Amino acid sequence: MKNFWIVLKFELMNFYKNKTFIISSVIICGLLIVGMSIPTIQDTFFSGSDEQAGEEGQEFPSDQTFGFINNAEENVDSETLQSVFMAGQLQQFDDQESMEEAVEQEDIEAGFVVTSPTAYQHVIRNNELTGSTHFGFEQAFQETYRRSGFEALGIEYENVENLVHAPIQRDTVILGTDSAANYLYTYILVFGLYFVIIVYGQLVATSVASEKSNRAMEVLVTSTKTEYLIFGKVFGGALAGASQMALIILVAMGAYQANSSAWDGQLDFLFDIPLSVLGSFAVFGILGYLFFLFLFGALGALVSRTEDVSTSVTPITIIFVAVFAVSVIGMQNTEGMLLKVASFIPFSSFMAMFVRVSMGSVTNLEVGISLGILLATTFVTGWLASKIYRMGTLMYGNPVKITKVFKMLFSSNDV
Amino acid sequence: MRLEINNLHKSFGETQVLHGISFEVESGKALGFLGRNGAGKTTTLRILMNLFNQNKGEILLDGKKFRVNDHQIGYLPEERGLYPKKKVIEQLVYFGELRGLGRKKATQNAERWMERLGVTEYRNKKLESLSKGNQQKVQLAETFICDPDIVVLDEPFSGLDPVNAQILKDIIREQIDKKKLVIFSSHQMGYIEEFCKDIALIHHGEIVLKGNLKDIKRKYGMNRLTLKDSSRSKEELKEILEKELPSLLKSVEIRKERLILELHAGREKQEFLQEALSIGLDIEEFSVYEPSLEDIFVEKAGDIA
Repeated sequence: MKNFWIVLKFELMNFYKNKTFIISSVIICGLLIVGMSIPTIQDTFFSGSDEQAGEEGQEFPSDQTFGFINNAEENVDSETLQSVFMAGQLQQFDDQESMEEAVEQEDIEAGFVVTSPTAYQHVIRNNELTGSTHFGFEQAFQETYRRSGFEALGIEYENVENLVHAPIQRDTVILGTDSAANYLYTYILVFGLYFVIIVYGQLVATSVASEKSNRAMEVLVTSTKTEYLIFGKVFGGALAGASQMALIILVAMGAYQANSSAWDGQLDFLFDIPLSVLGSFAVFGILGYLFFLFLFGALGALVSRTEDVSTSVTPITIIFVAVFAVSVIGMQNTEGMLLKVASFIPFSSFMAMFVRVSMGSVTNLEVGISLGILLATTFVTGWLASKIYRMGTLMYGNPVKITKVFKMLFSSNDV
Repeated sequence: MRLEINNLHKSFGETQVLHGISFEVESGKALGFLGRNGAGKTTTLRILMNLFNQNKGEILLDGKKFRVNDHQIGYLPEERGLYPKKKVIEQLVYFGELRGLGRKKATQNAERWMERLGVTEYRNKKLESLSKGNQQKVQLAETFICDPDIVVLDEPFSGLDPVNAQILKDIIREQIDKKKLVIFSSHQMGYIEEFCKDIALIHHGEIVLKGNLKDIKRKYGMNRLTLKDSSRSKEELKEILEKELPSLLKSVEIRKERLILELHAGREKQEFLQEALSIGLDIEEFSVYEPSLEDIFVEKAGDIA
């Protein structure tokens, strides 16, 4: 057992001393710190001009000037029209000619000739496809019509306005799981898991294959038991990946805390994950992670050169990507049959079941069964991986086919 | 300790590589394991190290089944290999720890063996930056780091220059003096003759010769004489001997500068000498033939495989 820890420590230090590991961690953490600081940066450097624009916007939504001629004075009140016009200044002209000239001179954006309480003429220079100069006027024109209409009936317009546009308040009481709020953090956790497994799976497979290609294997397997070697390697890789992920999460949280005033609690929901969800993520995530690392490690032992690793691990990579896709699609509909089935198959349960726990409703029994299956298969996979590793380690030359491996596993004399 | 290898058989697929290998080794004696390329030396040693399973046969240590993991074994594999991208000291300590040494002891031993083999200056260098010979020496340091009771060296001298070969010879001698059980394979006869008391010669997966080297040599020298004549060429001499003394000589063979004569059973060298003088040979050199290991090797394993 002592040797397991020696191997684990050696493999873990291999990762920690690896330049790629260090550089990728630094870059990801750096990007997170910068990303989390963006609101603070905005507040510090751009806040002044931002507020100014806001104020201007409120008082003068537009500094554009429009013109109008009122040919229905008896029914349409020019002052009311001007006061309710919100799209800029509305200037009254006396005759059509002077207004048309102003339009042509570009003194005003457009002109309107009111012919009756419900009809007007729109005078513009060029008609553009997206021309929208009449919207503001039409709104004001309509309101003027309503005001005079209600006044004629002796009703206060403001009262009507309050009745028609009464603000409605809504409060939602969630009895089950709040999928909408969980979506983002579930997605981030699932994606993080996907990323860590695919990267570290490759690394473990490459590490096994390189021990074969540099022939350190023969010395290793005569120095200690192969079980310790593969388990130490897989757990070392798992720890390296988990610690890198933990570092990234901690940096993200720290950077968020440091910039909390600028964020104003907008991302609180991301870091406020319920313990039950975190717990199931830890248990399912770690088991699935180990499960796949064992598979990658065993596949790495079947080739003799590191160049062949990617070919060897392709089948498992494809399965893994499919599992990820099923889980992400399942996040849209956690009651879907596909996701339910996937949450019991060991290849996919670690991700699919986590999605269901986090976003859907699932009974403890279901979680227990799925966990039991995953636990058992992970142990069996670990055991199989050490057998394949033991057998693959001394087979040099062409990559070994997986069918041949199983044939050989059950006829002990061949190696 | 006494290691017995009994009747090992091994096939790879359809090809049978070992056809019943048996030999014994004792502590304090080195066994030279000889054979031509592809004879089955490495396969035998790999079975001994439990890297392959045999199809048949057993390996016993002091009469009990031999389990590799129960003993400190220094194994130098034929395919040398450590971690090319790791520092020399790091990997030596790692392998020392894997073989049961504490970290401190592993570091001490690593330093000691690097010193002994003259690679201390590369302590903090990556292995891949060393020359092949120096990498070989690091590999030897790795082999001896845990002060093994059993030393198994597969072709240890290949790749070493004469100076380094001398260092390794001293180390092997020291191991023998310390009563370690040493097995090493080679096709370089000179090294084996120097310090192996016993040999086992493997040919086409079978042991064709084994035992105490002195006895073997004596047996091969029995009834054989060497002869050189100062006034005749070896061809002429051979012709004369075959014509004049067939009753005494079983065979006459030219080897390098002299003739090797084999007497019929029961005939003595004095008889031959008298006869030789009586037929007027001008003897320059006459001696009892002591075969070199190489002669024996060529005779036993010399057929074109």
